[in-house]
Amino acid sequence: MTATPKDNRMRLTILGGYLGSGKTTWLRHQLFAGEFGRAHILVNEAAETPVDDTLLTAQAAGVTMLAGGCACCTGKDALVAALRAICDARSKDQTVTDRIVLETSGLADPAAILTAIRQDPVLVHHIIVSEIIVLVDTLHAADQLRTEHLSRAQIEAADRVILTKVGTAPPLQIAAVAATVPQMNPLASVSGADMGVSMPLDNLPDAAPLDLPPLGRDLTPITPTRIDIGPEVDWASFSVWLSALLYARGDDLVRVKGVMETPAGPLLLQAVRKSVQPPELLPPEAANRQNQIVFIGRGYSSAALRASLVYFTRL
Amino acid sequence: MCSACGFPTRPGHWTDAGADTAGDRIRLKLSRARVLAKILTPYGFTAHAPGQVPGFTLSSFTGKTVIVPDLEALWDAAAQQIGAPIDPLDPRFTGDA
Repeated sequence: MTATPKDNRMRLTILGGYLGSGKTTWLRHQLFAGEFGRAHILVNEAAETPVDDTLLTAQAAGVTMLAGGCACCTGKDALVAALRAICDARSKDQTVTDRIVLETSGLADPAAILTAIRQDPVLVHHIIVSEIIVLVDTLHAADQLRTEHLSRAQIEAADRVILTKVGTAPPLQIAAVAATVPQMNPLASVSGADMGVSMPLDNLPDAAPLDLPPLGRDLTPITPTRIDIGPEVDWASFSVWLSALLYARGDDLVRVKGVMETPAGPLLLQAVRKSVQPPELLPPEAANRQNQIVFIGRGYSSAALRASLVYFTRL
Repeated sequence: MCSACGFPTRPGHWTDAGADTAGDRIRLKLSRARVLAKILTPYGFTAHAPGQVPGFTLSSFTGKTVIVPDLEALWDAAAQQIGAPIDPLDPRFTGDA
């Protein structure tokens, strides 16, 4: 039930980012550098005519193209079918690679893909999403983030944000984007890359974060709340509380991440909106760190969150 | 599938992680039932954790009873009967009322 690093599930890396953010360029270089080993690559393009696959074939264990529909909405069935086919192949032959990299279309919301995989009765047993990497184009991020809800949703869902085109964008612009990303998603690590080669983000001038106007439904800005969980909160009441919270407020909770002590050991919890990844059991050495959960979301106050948890745990 | 209740326990629901031994599982289930009782009683529900089958039963005050496999399904079943999800950030739980 608990995912451990030794289980036999395939590791899926979701690579997202807005249109033209350099996903294929980055992935191509990573494959060349051996970053993902010989992974099976899934490429999704919203357009009808695929071009990216020809660029990637050389280094990969296999490339599957999903053209004509974004995998998080219209192309979801095609994505699930393709992933099932890969799982089938692996079930028949364990020597087949256990790594999959999904390059999403620039229009995909990684959180929606995560949900699709979790809700599929077959894939949930075969695939564990190891990381969501989102690329942000430093040349165009300012405009995209000001006007496009989707470009914000992508960053909010990321585990790792990579700023691309840092070799060509003006340093002040890079600095502004680098200052904005942690505000939107304090949990994600931020690094830089140019043509897929990782570049340091030091020596940047001081810059204020971009001033992002509210868009559509996210009228209130998202705020991170860190809750230190005391020894009086046990896993039983905490799981009741968090499951109710995610059910009622899942769409407002962009990200939940943290470590919680359970009878079986410290558990790493991660959720993107309503979808919770199978919790991972951490080695016992992690037990001496304090239970701590970070909530990133909108539409509630940090005080309400804390008060509610206290209500649920105080019997 | 469990021949008593017909439910295959949906493997991998995250709330079921964290208890690996049979003893831990039953302890977890019983202490959860205690927390649930406190939350659900004001809404006219009672939740039971029958020891020998997975999941919970959720009964409304009219006697309507559903068997649910996990906590997520329990909140879903409650929301369907009330008409809105039970929100932990409702003022009645945060003490702002």
